[in-house]
Amino acid sequence: MKSANRILILLLMVVASAGVFSCKSQKKIAAEQEAAAEARKIAKAKADLEILLSDNSGLSLSEKESRLKVIKDMNIEDAEVKQLIVQVEEKLQREREAMLAKERAAKQAQEREENMKVEDQKGLGDYFKMIANSSNLGTSNRYIEEALGLFASPDVPVLIIISKSGDIVDYDRPTTIKKYLEYLKDQEVDRNKIENVVYDANGKITELELIKK
Amino acid sequence: MNRSSIFIAIFIVFSLVIGAQAQPEISPERKQAIDSLALEKVKDLGKYISIIGNKNTPFSEANRVIDRALELFSEGSQMGVSSLSSPDIQYYGIREYFQRLMALNYDRVTIEWFNIEYISDLVRQPDGRYVGVITVYQRFTGESDDGMKYVDTTKKDITVYVERKQTQIQGRVIGFWDVLLGDIRVTETKPG
Repeated sequence: MKSANRILILLLMVVASAGVFSCKSQKKIAAEQEAAAEARKIAKAKADLEILLSDNSGLSLSEKESRLKVIKDMNIEDAEVKQLIVQVEEKLQREREAMLAKERAAKQAQEREENMKVEDQKGLGDYFKMIANSSNLGTSNRYIEEALGLFASPDVPVLIIISKSGDIVDYDRPTTIKKYLEYLKDQEVDRNKIENVVYDANGKITELELIKK
Repeated sequence: MNRSSIFIAIFIVFSLVIGAQAQPEISPERKQAIDSLALEKVKDLGKYISIIGNKNTPFSEANRVIDRALELFSEGSQMGVSSLSSPDIQYYGIREYFQRLMALNYDRVTIEWFNIEYISDLVRQPDGRYVGVITVYQRFTGESDDGMKYVDTTKKDITVYVERKQTQIQGRVIGFWDVLLGDIRVTETKPG
């Protein structure tokens, strides 16, 4: 009986020790798997960050920023990844500033162009008055030369509307800007106002429509 | 005249009448604009004549203005010229008239036009053109350095033609009213 108990105790010890060893092994595998997954995550994050650092990612700035946010949200505790994140952040910041500067420049250029057009229109109307009111031939001719500088050529057509009745528009005989400016000089009266101005890509006037005051 | 000639003549007259009636009458507002345009062209001519006649106008400027003034006239138009010293009225082609005006033997010439108005309203003709007559008064003053001074006032009748035309401007078809001046006839000449 005693020997049977000893055998039973021995068996229990063997089973218990096997269980202990088995549990230790599972934890180790899990830890190894976790470490491998972490290593893969770090490797993937590094690869993505390297792509973001390169200039040929093919992504827009907002796409790059979204991707960086996803990586940062992973909270990867890796010195190299953290270093890369800082570098990408700095790079994207520079890109953001460059893009804003470009947008500002484009907006300013557009405003300048619009102002120039308004100035041209205002300036042209002023030239018409100055030419018509000038009593000195030399001054009139100087104004004419200056005004012609606003046009693509001295032969730019000038249309003068004499009446508008519904859809029907009646014009005087078309003339050219050079002849029209000389007409103002000769007649010493500015009878028309600017109705419409057409510009070319260089900001020069290519067609002018006037209407009787 | 045989029967076929009579038939053709009747057909032509009938066609002209129908043609004139087929063109829509323009609104009073549009007609008013055309009336004003024609009057403006006559005023323009008055100013051109004063520039051409003015002895202070440089030669090149006078020639340029002659070219502009000629654009106001229909081909072959003539200008009547009168003088207090003769009852005759001489008629010259417009370019010749301007050249003679430039070469007048005075040291100072002043020409002014006034009382410019219609004496015969623009009326539509069977061919679609509008024809009217505008009268102007011209005061001419010529002075020489030796004290000689000649002054007269002439009344002139200007025939005006207005025609609807079309042209292409940068690919767009533009309908415009072309005002052309015809003969200018002297109807009265008075001193002063």
